[in-house]
Amino acid sequence: MAVELKIHSETYAYFEEKAPVLFFILSREGKIVNANRYAQDLTGRSLSGENFRDVIVDFTGKFDLTDAVRNPSTERLINIGSASGQPQSFYFTFKPVADGCILAFGRLDAAELETMRKEVLSLNQELNNLMRELHKKNAQLKRLNEEKNRFLGMAAHDLRKPIGLIITYSEFLIEETEGLLESEHINFLNTVNSSCTFMKRLVDDFLDVSAIEAGKFDLNLEPAAIDDVLESSLQLNNLQADKKGIHLHIQCDENIPHIIMDAPKIEQAITNLVSNAIEHTSLKSQVAVAISCSPHFITFSVMDQGPGIPSEDQDNLFKPFAKTSAKKTGGEKSTGLGMLITRKIIEAHRGQIWVDSRVGEGTTVYFKLPVNVEEK
Amino acid sequence: MISENLYNYYLSDLLAGKRSDCQKIVQELLDSGIEVKDLYSQLFQRSLYRVGELWENNRITVANEHLATSITESLLNLAYPAVFATERIGKKAVISCSANEFHQVGGKMVADILELNGWDGHFLGANTPPNDMAHFIQETRPDLVGLSLSILSNIDNLQRAIEVVRTDFPNMDLLIGGQAFRWGGFDIIKRYAGTEYIPTLDELEKGIKAG
Repeated sequence: MAVELKIHSETYAYFEEKAPVLFFILSREGKIVNANRYAQDLTGRSLSGENFRDVIVDFTGKFDLTDAVRNPSTERLINIGSASGQPQSFYFTFKPVADGCILAFGRLDAAELETMRKEVLSLNQELNNLMRELHKKNAQLKRLNEEKNRFLGMAAHDLRKPIGLIITYSEFLIEETEGLLESEHINFLNTVNSSCTFMKRLVDDFLDVSAIEAGKFDLNLEPAAIDDVLESSLQLNNLQADKKGIHLHIQCDENIPHIIMDAPKIEQAITNLVSNAIEHTSLKSQVAVAISCSPHFITFSVMDQGPGIPSEDQDNLFKPFAKTSAKKTGGEKSTGLGMLITRKIIEAHRGQIWVDSRVGEGTTVYFKLPVNVEEK
Repeated sequence: MISENLYNYYLSDLLAGKRSDCQKIVQELLDSGIEVKDLYSQLFQRSLYRVGELWENNRITVANEHLATSITESLLNLAYPAVFATERIGKKAVISCSANEFHQVGGKMVADILELNGWDGHFLGANTPPNDMAHFIQETRPDLVGLSLSILSNIDNLQRAIEVVRTDFPNMDLLIGGQAFRWGGFDIIKRYAGTEYIPTLDELEKGIKAG
């Protein structure tokens, strides 16, 4: 160092290299001749040759080095810009030393550190208390949700029987009064029948959803052939397709192995997907259903020639009561729960379901099931 | 049961401020099915009492002590899915720290043990002014109130809190506990009718189960 100080060399070395204080030698013009290790580490640079004024964060612009040297016993609270960008506060004293140089000595503002430490602790406690409240509210919401599902399940279950009776008796009336009623009254009966059939679907879907949400969606797993399941499902879907003059094109790989599944539930999933495809396909066109097999998976797909689903709607497709801009071509009603139930059925079999759709070209829904499904 | 070996590992990680190592130990204990009460009493309470002793004997700094407390408090969050999942029994408790009492982990653990037993355990936090506490009790109408004290020199503030509860809610069951009474001092509590000193989380659980 160019400037000699009248202090013991070991003490000097300590301040120079180890002491947790700021220690600068400044020229009489305020340029830094030397800065100790702590100052260099704090600022992340050597500082030598820089103007001391540029190292401090002086918002007021009132720092006067000459005045500071004139009053060497007065401590001044000065902020230094640290390497992290955060200013740090130090109490500085400025003393004249040999050759017109100035010793600037800064100690940490212990009171500020203590205040900050207490503040951080207090904020941490508050944060942890809020975390506790959050966990508590989550548990309360979970209980409320379970209660809601239980209520929904009970209500749906109790509605199912009377709705079934209305459907049966309206069918009897339609059949047994043929030729006796005026067409207007037959229309009334048909409306009663179709509305109740939709209501029963809705109730069935509610029951499925409440079972799923209550974690009571048990699978009855047994080996079954997916092509048999498809055939059974298509008996229902064919009636629907015939009404709209839609041709169901089926393509299945040969020798598809039996897989472990809950066949009625997979049939429900396939019926839902094919039914959706028919509902969105124009009259007198085609819906293509395919099943292919690889060593580890069986993949099912159903492709419609409908309007397609915009990409922004595709994420919502499997959410309850989701609406998309794709309109049904025959004005069919939907419960808004079918895709959610289908996804849950496939996921319960450790399978995956996804959609590939382009607006104006149509939609293909795929699911794949592992060939070896173990019982959960 | 937490082994002595594991406890010592945990304590040294806690004193070294190794939050993630402590978290790993606690998560593994929870995954292995440890009872939350055992986790609280055999690991959290025991280690914090030890940290308190080390601080009192000038073996660690106040910053070390605060860091260990903060880590412990954050680890309670790991147990919360189990703490709040129990069947509710329709009883409520308000647990509070008195004014000038900045150590809140003990009180929080008491509120959690109540939750674990189906109670609704409201925790008011550190440094709660007696009037704020009384206001909350008035609003909540709990079945019991618990007050926690970690440093005996703060007993005046605890007594003020007890007096407020006794004056405004003379029939309220009042429980007192905390590290402050580890080496005595609970005779003061006996002066107040209907006020009981609860030395451990086990005693607390026994008491609430006995009704």
